[in-house]
Amino acid sequence: MKRFFEPSYTTWLHRANPALKLILFVALFVMTMFVHHIDASFYLACAFLLLLFVCSGYPLWKTALLTAGFALVFVSASLTMILFGKGAEIWWSFGPIHISKESFYRGLHLGFRSIAFGCQGLLFVLTSSSTGLFYALMQRLKLSPKYAYSFMASIRLLPMVGEELRIRREALAVRGAGGSSGLGGLLRLPERYALPLLAQSIRRAQRTAAAMEVKRFDAGRRRTYYYPSPVTANDAAALLLLAAAVAAAFLLARNLPVFGLGDMRMDP
Amino acid sequence: MKKAAMDIAIEIEPGLETKRGKEAGREAKTKAGEPHGAAPDADAQTQSGYPDGTTPAGTIDREAEGEARRQPPEAAASEEYAAEVRALRLKFPGTQQLLFRDLSLEIRRGEKVLLLGPSGCGKSTLLQVLGGVIPRVTEVPLKAERLTVPDSAGLVFQDPDTQFCMSYVDEELAFVLENLAVPRGEMDARIEAALREVGLDLPDRHMPIGDLSQGMKQRLALASVLLLEPDALLLDEPSALLDPEGRRTIWEAVRRVSARRTVIIVEHRIEEVLHWVDRIVLLRSDGSILADGAPAGLFGRYRAELREYGVWYPGAWDDAYGGAEAGAADLAAENARRGAPADGEAESPAGTQRPGGEANAPRMAARPAGRAAPGGGEARGEAPAAGAPLLRLRDFRVRRGGRTVCAAEAAEVLPGDLIALVGPNGAGKSSLLLGLMGLLAHEGVCEFGGIAPAGRRAARETAAKHAAFVFQNPEFQFVTNRALDEVAFTLRSEAERALRAGRRPLLGRRPKPDAAAESGMLRRSRGELARFGLAGFEDRHPYLLSLGQKRRLSVASAVVSDKPLLLLDEPTFGQDARNAFAILDLCERLRASGHAVLMVTHELEIADRLATQIWRIEGGRLVSAEHTGRSRSGGAFVSLVSKEGTE
Amino acid sequence: MSTQISGAGARRKGLTLTDVLVTVVVSLVLGVVYHVWSSVYSLVSVLFVQSDELVYGMWFAASTLAFLLIRKPGVALIAEIAAAHLEIAFGSAYGIQLLLYSVVQGLGAELVFAAFRYRKSSAFVAGLAGIGAAAGSLLIDIYYGYVEDYATWLLIAKYAMRAVSSFVIAGYLMYALAKLLERAGVTQSLRPVDRKEYDALND
Repeated sequence: MKRFFEPSYTTWLHRANPALKLILFVALFVMTMFVHHIDASFYLACAFLLLLFVCSGYPLWKTALLTAGFALVFVSASLTMILFGKGAEIWWSFGPIHISKESFYRGLHLGFRSIAFGCQGLLFVLTSSSTGLFYALMQRLKLSPKYAYSFMASIRLLPMVGEELRIRREALAVRGAGGSSGLGGLLRLPERYALPLLAQSIRRAQRTAAAMEVKRFDAGRRRTYYYPSPVTANDAAALLLLAAAVAAAFLLARNLPVFGLGDMRMDP
Repeated sequence: MKKAAMDIAIEIEPGLETKRGKEAGREAKTKAGEPHGAAPDADAQTQSGYPDGTTPAGTIDREAEGEARRQPPEAAASEEYAAEVRALRLKFPGTQQLLFRDLSLEIRRGEKVLLLGPSGCGKSTLLQVLGGVIPRVTEVPLKAERLTVPDSAGLVFQDPDTQFCMSYVDEELAFVLENLAVPRGEMDARIEAALREVGLDLPDRHMPIGDLSQGMKQRLALASVLLLEPDALLLDEPSALLDPEGRRTIWEAVRRVSARRTVIIVEHRIEEVLHWVDRIVLLRSDGSILADGAPAGLFGRYRAELREYGVWYPGAWDDAYGGAEAGAADLAAENARRGAPADGEAESPAGTQRPGGEANAPRMAARPAGRAAPGGGEARGEAPAAGAPLLRLRDFRVRRGGRTVCAAEAAEVLPGDLIALVGPNGAGKSSLLLGLMGLLAHEGVCEFGGIAPAGRRAARETAAKHAAFVFQNPEFQFVTNRALDEVAFTLRSEAERALRAGRRPLLGRRPKPDAAAESGMLRRSRGELARFGLAGFEDRHPYLLSLGQKRRLSVASAVVSDKPLLLLDEPTFGQDARNAFAILDLCERLRASGHAVLMVTHELEIADRLATQIWRIEGGRLVSAEHTGRSRSGGAFVSLVSKEGTE
Repeated sequence: MSTQISGAGARRKGLTLTDVLVTVVVSLVLGVVYHVWSSVYSLVSVLFVQSDELVYGMWFAASTLAFLLIRKPGVALIAEIAAAHLEIAFGSAYGIQLLLYSVVQGLGAELVFAAFRYRKSSAFVAGLAGIGAAAGSLLIDIYYGYVEDYATWLLIAKYAMRAVSSFVIAGYLMYALAKLLERAGVTQSLRPVDRKEYDALND
């Protein structure tokens, strides 16, 4: 995991300040959410997919592997709408299923949009490290260190919880309590796993917090930072890059429409 | 330590340190201003110097009372003492008893002090009070006439995995420097120096902490507290969870850095520490001080107490096993007299008599034979005829993730065997055990009592009938919320399995054993608890038991259904001597009754003194399985201190 | 004559480092358990439309459990964000939208607890908080998934299932889990120390 998520080359996006980049991507997300035309969402999905492959800093096969999940995302976002959405021009219907022209294109639109969201999210994740992000949030956006270090610590704790889950599973198998026979067994499963893991983790969190405060961690006091988090020309470049991608998508949607349909939402 | 800074500020160098002191005062507020009934004027007094209503936690100077008059003047005292408590009272929330009642202790500057005492006597708590963790970081109700802590203390805790918040070595060390507001430019050099000081030679400072061994992690923890430039080091069992190599290196590092510093150590394994501490403070189980003095004198006089308290002093093994095996007759007499494994914990629930002597449950060998064992014919309690192996391995390979993690060409376990499975960390010892239990995929022959199952499911079921498994951390094995149910669970699930053998209902009620069988199982479970020294704890939540009790409960619930083979993963790891010997004693008794025990261990003494075979695993392969020449019949029983509870 | 010392007491009013770290790990553990459970569940459950809504409440479980354990303002929100953070950090395909969902859902739960002035920590209130979080998720769904354009019966079925699952899982199931943790002695040290405990020192 650790080795897998290491970019092999860096781009402007990697070198941009993570805190500003987060703001940029949240803005991008909100903007995408207000796109209601299928051509725009189609080209947005294409533009960010392209950007993802070019700028993530990962070799082609890795990016392809990561984006493979988007097929599922596309289907899950669009299928329900296609099959069960409202619409006037019915193409096909069977039982509760009504596929209408409106719902079909609305479903496709949702699918494209969720691919755009997915690409944006993945682009952010692949170009930023968690540590870098929290250092930037502390220095640039005055996030309290107690949140920043707790979140960073959770990354270190995750593999331990995974390991404990494995041990618990083996222990339950040894004791003959692992099998989920019947519905009752299935419902008790979370409890069987959650209780020991929570007990261990809560105690570990308390001890870790104590160890941190013993090392004179104090959220209220002035501190220095090991990793600087400057604002540089890279941030401007990242902004321009993203803006260019969005502008390209909108221009193409206007001048080279594939579907040529209006607002995807139902008229009230 | 801010509270520490306060001490300086007030008592030693007011001019120099006042600012830090005031800062501390703001942080560490007390409940002084709140109505408390019990101590109104004390409140007024402590409050008076601080208009904002805050008081430096921990530095409460009481001049008035009699105790104080006997002490040297304040200024002199605090210059001489690095840490001091006077008339300390402390109680954990939710408990009935005070942990400390008017305890007083002074630690001089530069002194190297070792705190010893039985499990649960409050050594670690005392250390945390002396180090200023309680009550500044962890809120525990306490009061003291006087509490002075070092102006700068570095604490290293027991568990290597709960002391770091960052993922990389350099980041973790930088975290401390950030807390101290050290400029970024100076960080690299100081990180480098700290790593050098503790002897951590890393190829790359930006190395994942997860890739370090446990021993290296403890040295990293030491390095990180050294960055605080502490004048006192407080060590809370820093080597308890390390293997012998880790123990050696951490103590080496501690010695190297502790030259002029005050050092206070809590540790059960004192071999590496004993010869360089100046002073030992021995606590009783009620939290009072039994003895306080130089190691040499104290050691001779209180050897019996050290033994009773479960301290791993040099020679603990000789005292327990006498260097030679006990004769069978002595052994029987000894067992009849002593009964269940001694229970070192002083926390018997109110109103219940701890099991003692003859009143105890029957010994392993004398178990009622006619009892119904629900596991099915071949898994009955009777030991197979001597000579027939309980477990036979041929070309056995355990696989995990498509890779062979442990291979054994040929090995056998016979009734009466105690096998020590030894080898370096990560060599595949635990994987072998998991493979035997059918929890990991495997190839080759693995016969239990002559039965060679085919297929993974059959392998798992056969293993479950013939072998009991005890994990390193008992908590992961608990599935109920009551100690008695924990043992009964094993019997219940085996009874259920026997009932529905052949038919697997997909829906509907699972077959349940009838009432008579149920009460039989409960009776048997109670007997088992008593046999393991847990009588009186039937209704206790397993998590609320002490470390040693948890371990015994996990073994009890594993062996209750009389499986011929017991597999243990590091049963004595991190345990005090008393608990470790209690577990080993149980193993010996199982062995004496024709069972076999296979345990992963780092403890060379077990291999030397108790094992009948030593299996050595290196690099994912069983490289040798040699017989030690020790007899498979009889057993070496620990001669535990029998005067428990008579102090 | 005695002096009470409580270095940490007054500080405990706001969220301490321990509170935040515990909240984060609660969220972490439940996230891990959820992933295991949902994989088992999806094998067992007969695939019918939107059946995943029946386990949707598990997404809000961390926020109510964290509140039931720590009982301070803010933890429900932090728990939600922590869950999203981990999903993102380990390469979820849902990226940034999880963050927005988590903030709105966390605020939904937080509002319910605030309505009871953070004093009530019953299973019912936790269940309501779960529904509050579900309402938050509906809010985003309207923009994100145009759910109001679903056939009406589906819209109602989907969100009714989500509300019920939130009420049961985030409410009653988490309440039971919190009680179990309490019995196991884990929660004792998470709560502020009672005044009586200090008084007992004078006995």
